[in-house]
Amino acid sequence: MTAVLVIEDDDRIRLALVLALEDEGYTVSGAATAEEGLVRQRREPADTVLVDLMLPGIDGFECIRQLRRDDDVPIVVVSARDDTHDIVAALEAGADDYVVKPVAVKELSARLRALRRRAQAAVTTEVPGLVFGDLTVRPEAGEVSVRGQQVPVTRTEFRLLCELAEHPGRVLSRQQLLQRVWEYETGDERLVDVHVGRLRNKIEDDSSDPRHLVTVRGLGYKLQR
Amino acid sequence: MRSVGLRARVTTGFAVGALLLSAVMASVSYQLVSTSLIDEREKNAIRAAYVNAAVVSAGLAGGQRAGVESLWSLDTGSEREVLLRNDGAWFGRAADEGLTAAIPQKLQLRVEQGRPAVQRIRTDGVPAVVVAVPLSTSAAFYEIDSLRELDDNLRLLALVLTAVAIMTAVAGAALGWYAGRYVLRPLAVVAEAAHDIATGKLNARLDPAAEPDLARLTTSFNHMVDQLSARMQRDRRFAADVSHELRSPLQTLSAAVSVVTRRREHLDERTATALGLIADEITRFQALVHDLLELARSDQPAQRTPVDIADLARLTCRSRNVDDSIVQIEQGTPAMWLVDRRRIEQLLANLLDNAEKYGGGPIALRIGHVSDDSCFLEVDDDGPGVSAEDRDSIFDRFVRGRTANSRGAGDGTGLGLALVAQHAAAHGGHADILDRPGGGARFRAELKGCTP
Repeated sequence: MTAVLVIEDDDRIRLALVLALEDEGYTVSGAATAEEGLVRQRREPADTVLVDLMLPGIDGFECIRQLRRDDDVPIVVVSARDDTHDIVAALEAGADDYVVKPVAVKELSARLRALRRRAQAAVTTEVPGLVFGDLTVRPEAGEVSVRGQQVPVTRTEFRLLCELAEHPGRVLSRQQLLQRVWEYETGDERLVDVHVGRLRNKIEDDSSDPRHLVTVRGLGYKLQR
Repeated sequence: MRSVGLRARVTTGFAVGALLLSAVMASVSYQLVSTSLIDEREKNAIRAAYVNAAVVSAGLAGGQRAGVESLWSLDTGSEREVLLRNDGAWFGRAADEGLTAAIPQKLQLRVEQGRPAVQRIRTDGVPAVVVAVPLSTSAAFYEIDSLRELDDNLRLLALVLTAVAIMTAVAGAALGWYAGRYVLRPLAVVAEAAHDIATGKLNARLDPAAEPDLARLTTSFNHMVDQLSARMQRDRRFAADVSHELRSPLQTLSAAVSVVTRRREHLDERTATALGLIADEITRFQALVHDLLELARSDQPAQRTPVDIADLARLTCRSRNVDDSIVQIEQGTPAMWLVDRRRIEQLLANLLDNAEKYGGGPIALRIGHVSDDSCFLEVDDDGPGVSAEDRDSIFDRFVRGRTANSRGAGDGTGLGLALVAQHAAAHGGHADILDRPGGGARFRAELKGCTP
């Protein structure tokens, strides 16, 4: 049974989401504020967290940052705001996915399942360590290291890195990455761009001049030595 | 009628001014020069005539014959003719009727009365001066001095002055053209900034220090842009607020309805029917909010990225449960298009939905290109087509096809085709409706700047 935490200040939305997601087979708990949600997640960690952006007190962005500081729990933003600025800021804060209200429960459930598969796939793939110069990706162990030093990455970041690492030197388009990592038939390419940016901050010496995870203009991304 | 441009007017003004000035200068110069030259020439003619008259007078003292002979002894050159009138008869050095006829009667009368005279005449079309000196009561000496050479010189002078005047006018026009460009240059900067703003770059401002004479214009311009950008920011915030306020309750409705729908079989038939209505209307309400917000964002420029257009078309077909084999790619069409992926996906989806709702389903989705710069997307259906009176309004907001109600397809927002037109316009193109050969409608969206 997958445990889901819903951090949403609107009582009616929270209640409706809790009921509907329970119908989909999740164990759901709700929190009305970021503070309450953070305490709850620390005490009894859920497998996935849904966060609204407009929250009283600590806002959604800060809430995501604090959740991310503790562990790599998958975070999905459920917000009525669809401004590019908000979406990018939430993803940069550490969110794995972003859906805009109103989202159908079926769709939300599909997102959660994809996230779940991502987390499991990382553990079961049987591929030996992939070495890119000073960067090593170990899909079977779920580890990334730079010059022997282990680097903490989220499950989505890891899945993205594995997709690129399994095709060394080959360009994968943003749409291909969206399909393989997020399981979107077609989706928002900003998801890929922001996650690539986050990965670069972790694995590159200079993220503004990447050596390993490079952009191929007009085509996509590739991983190289 | 199109009004004449500022630069053309400045140029014309300079040219006309230069022409007037040079024409006046030229004509005054001509008058002064020609008067002084002719005066000089007349004085010479009179002086020479008196000297010659003295010689002839002396000759005439020895009788008529000696007088006539004395004509021959005169040194007159080729430009002058001399005549002697004695006792009512003409004597010259050559028989030339024209010459005597050229001397005006009034002049002769005056000389016969014993008074000398000078008059300008024309002989054989050439200007000349005739000087008449009475020698006695019955005799008079005439000298005709041709001004041919002087006339030629004056004509040349007039020609030169005219040429100079025309050249001055041309130079004036050139100066005007250049001055116009120079004066208009700061306005070109303004035009460029305005164009930037029109394309969405709202941070474009003018430097007030760059052109002190246009300080008022730059200040007002910058003020206007500030106001505009504040206004747009307010509008955007309003759209964001409205979206939030409408979307939040919709989220509750959507989730709650899914909970009830799951338990549909426990409801009696009347309640289940009512629930179905609520669920459908929530779906329609969601689509309406989505489309309205999309329309409210119309001012935002297209976020172009390279897109595999055939891939996107097939994907969109599959997402609407349409067989993706209807996608046809015309030969020579580039595979990758520079377009706003989200908008083009929506454009295609709306055209497919439209064909589904009003045209009995799409039968072809054609991808092609008209020129290097212009590409098109077409969706054909096999329906009744669109009547001529509906064509003008079909891309307007909240316009639904006539067959909509009869088919019971009231779940459209009435905004689908308006969005198609808007997305095409965001790509510098437009949406059209055509007749499909063999019946049915053909919706066509033309997009510009798609090929890198």
